[in-house]
Amino acid sequence: MVELQVNGQRYQVEPAGRRLLAVLRDELELLGTKLACGEGACGACAVLLDGKPVNACLLLAEAVAGHEVVTIEGLSGGRAAAVQQAFVAEDAVQCGFCTPGQVVSATVLLERVPDPTREQIHEAMAGNICRCGTYPKIERAILRIAGGA
Amino acid sequence: MTARFVRTQKEMEGRYEDVWALVDESDDVRTWAPDAELSLVGQPAPRFDGMVRATGRARYTVDVRLTGMLHAAVLRSPAAHGRVRVLDIEAALAAPGVRAVIGPESELSLTRSSPLLAAEPGYAGQPIAVVAADTLEAALEGVRALALDIEVLGHVVDAREAVNEHQFIGEPADDSRGDAEAALAASEVTVEVSISTPAQLQTPLEPHAAVASWDGDELIAWVSTQGMFAARDELAAAFGLRKDAVRVRTEFVGGGFGAKQGAGFEALAAAELARITGRPVRLVNDRHGEMLDGGRRFSTQQTYRLGATRDGTLTAIEAEAVLAMGQGGWAMPTLVPARTLYRCADVGALSFPARTNLRPVNAFRAPGVMEGTTVFEQAIDELAIALEMDPLELRRRNHADVDQASGLPYSSKQLLACYDRAAELAGWDRREELRTRTGDGLLRGMGCATQIWWGGGGPPSHATVRLDAEGNAYVVTGIQDIGTGTLTSAQIVAAEELGLPLARVRVVGGDTRHNVYGPVAGGSQTTPSVMPAVRSAAAKVRKTLLQLAGDVFEIAAEDLEMANGRIRSHDGAIDAHVTEVTEKLGNATIDGSGSRGPNPDGFVVHTFGCQIARVAVDPGLGEVRVERIVAVHDVGRIVNPLTASSQVEGGILQGMAFALTEELVVDPTTGVPVNGHLDDYKVPSIADVPEIVIDYAHVADQNLPNTGTKGLGEPPIVPTAAAIANAFAHATGRRAAALPLTRSQVLETLA
Repeated sequence: MVELQVNGQRYQVEPAGRRLLAVLRDELELLGTKLACGEGACGACAVLLDGKPVNACLLLAEAVAGHEVVTIEGLSGGRAAAVQQAFVAEDAVQCGFCTPGQVVSATVLLERVPDPTREQIHEAMAGNICRCGTYPKIERAILRIAGGA
Repeated sequence: MTARFVRTQKEMEGRYEDVWALVDESDDVRTWAPDAELSLVGQPAPRFDGMVRATGRARYTVDVRLTGMLHAAVLRSPAAHGRVRVLDIEAALAAPGVRAVIGPESELSLTRSSPLLAAEPGYAGQPIAVVAADTLEAALEGVRALALDIEVLGHVVDAREAVNEHQFIGEPADDSRGDAEAALAASEVTVEVSISTPAQLQTPLEPHAAVASWDGDELIAWVSTQGMFAARDELAAAFGLRKDAVRVRTEFVGGGFGAKQGAGFEALAAAELARITGRPVRLVNDRHGEMLDGGRRFSTQQTYRLGATRDGTLTAIEAEAVLAMGQGGWAMPTLVPARTLYRCADVGALSFPARTNLRPVNAFRAPGVMEGTTVFEQAIDELAIALEMDPLELRRRNHADVDQASGLPYSSKQLLACYDRAAELAGWDRREELRTRTGDGLLRGMGCATQIWWGGGGPPSHATVRLDAEGNAYVVTGIQDIGTGTLTSAQIVAAEELGLPLARVRVVGGDTRHNVYGPVAGGSQTTPSVMPAVRSAAAKVRKTLLQLAGDVFEIAAEDLEMANGRIRSHDGAIDAHVTEVTEKLGNATIDGSGSRGPNPDGFVVHTFGCQIARVAVDPGLGEVRVERIVAVHDVGRIVNPLTASSQVEGGILQGMAFALTEELVVDPTTGVPVNGHLDDYKVPSIADVPEIVIDYAHVADQNLPNTGTKGLGEPPIVPTAAAIANAFAHATGRRAAALPLTRSQVLETLA
């Protein structure tokens, strides 16, 4: 058993070689974090590990013991809420399957760089694939917050 | 309701059939006039379920968790063609946690025209067996315990080889008219173009998925599908059930792009295993399984020979397309652009649906027409070059005033206005200046392409509207919103007709239990099919409400109107909140139902458009960068410009990727795809996005009932790749023999 700290709560889990994503979704039923590729290639499973975005599909659960994990469910207030509102206002949401991961990455970007350039947005968000092609709207949503901040 | 049946023509992605349509004679809702003053329709509105999606609270099929649920894993063929020699079902059943195993020899309770599981698979990735177990890990162990041994047989990758050996899916099609050969021989100017296009994968981020659960002889299935009613019907037929004994739930779908039609293998297999085990079963494709067996756009090899007079009048079109069908599917209308885009009497059109060892081809956003446009519109540009004529001018000169296949008029066509607007937005008149600036060492060019697609929708589509005592409306539709925002469009149309603010209108879809029918989210038909039904239902509720208001205020109902939640008399004497009337309802409700009327006789319904791309080519690295795309489309009345622009952007980006990076690559020696993962099949990222400029013809189609709207899901992807390829040719003076324009393809083309 290892102790995981997720969204400020402590959980005792049996990692049994499982990935963090499997533990989050199947054991803790935190279903906002999505499994889309399982290959670290799409960012749908992005969560924060000690404040940095990581792909939960490529992390062994036991490797994050002692670290702080925040999922989309734990990102409700402050800047994340502003990001979510901007995403909705700009229609940076189509099917929505990638959106939690996009919100995680956008929130971290804006915490790090409050007024990012287009290039900084592209660099920070390039790991989050959106097959519907909401990218122009994602860029506008992030710029909208930056402009209003 | 006074009802009658009428015979009407129904179209889905270019396939027409005559159907009986139920017509409500009492429905007197007229199409909004072109200049109608609408308060909500045409105004941008954020989708009402956006926050549910953005906060991760949306529950997709892959998120369904049921008590006692089993997990299924699929054994897929490792060979492009083979025969199963050994499959140890007993060993798999004996593995820890395994509850059921089905294979090619298993006796199933479902019946189907083709086997669910293959003893002789015809493509890599084809399902051979499925294991259901307590956990996914146990199911995967069960798959390993099957210890598949397969005899590898011969395979065909090259579609041309299949044609030479007369290996077809169905029959080659000849859709010719006139005498193209003679016309070509008599033409003053001729060109010939041969280009191949790639197999593109839909790649929805939520893979194909289903969860099935039985309650006695009733089945409930959560299915990630674009067609929940088709899924219901398919499951009912397969298991011999009444349709109302099957409930399909499809509240959120993580993308489909054409790939998710009906129940699919996943729902059928999950329901079968749930029936065997008496427990709910979840079957979700892993990414590799999705890339191999989720679906694709067929690769094509197309050849066009065009003839024209010196003044640029098209006199002959000879078109030939070889379509790599895989193991089945329908030969999507690749030569429709050649047959209908421009005025021409003599057209040869031959298509060859070649049988190859890949998964059966399925729909991918504007299937066939997008591939056909990609090459045909390059041939048109080659003709413009041969004629030394402006490519847009050549297109204008050959504008088709009536449908070239049927001779019938269009219900509405604003293509010439689209050309003008696109040219203006793109700076087309300064196109040649692009080629002279070379400060950064890049070669720049600009190219255009024309779009044609259907998108008129049709019956049947139904909706119900219920207004309660608090003045709030509840709209039930048969929509499965796969990300297009059509549920929000239905909210806008209902609120417009009811005269209520958006916040007072709640819309649902995604559940067949209501038996309020909506069409499959395909063929760009949801908006033009469902919105008229929603409007008709809302109009009935408004009519009843105003009758009741007339009683309450002792005034004729005809003298009252609804707007923004208020009931007003034309003379201004009465101005009351809607609840002053509805509060008298108590627990009663005002109900209305509406249906989509038939399409107009004597017209063909199409959408049109023009896109112009500007590219920069690095001749040293072979890199093509799309800098800007202008898109102007004629899709009738726009309900929600915010979500409409999202459809245009999404279509353009998928079309751009088709032109530049996306291709399923198959190893010719094994017949097995080599890039069936998201880390080697390159879909666009945010860093690849060009500037996108969007406008519309802004002309409602007055011949369509009753909202004048057409579909927009597919039109934007149709011309993008052709416009990019034409811009590439303009920039470099060379035309690539194959898409995508990868670096190696570009370097080879420029060498």
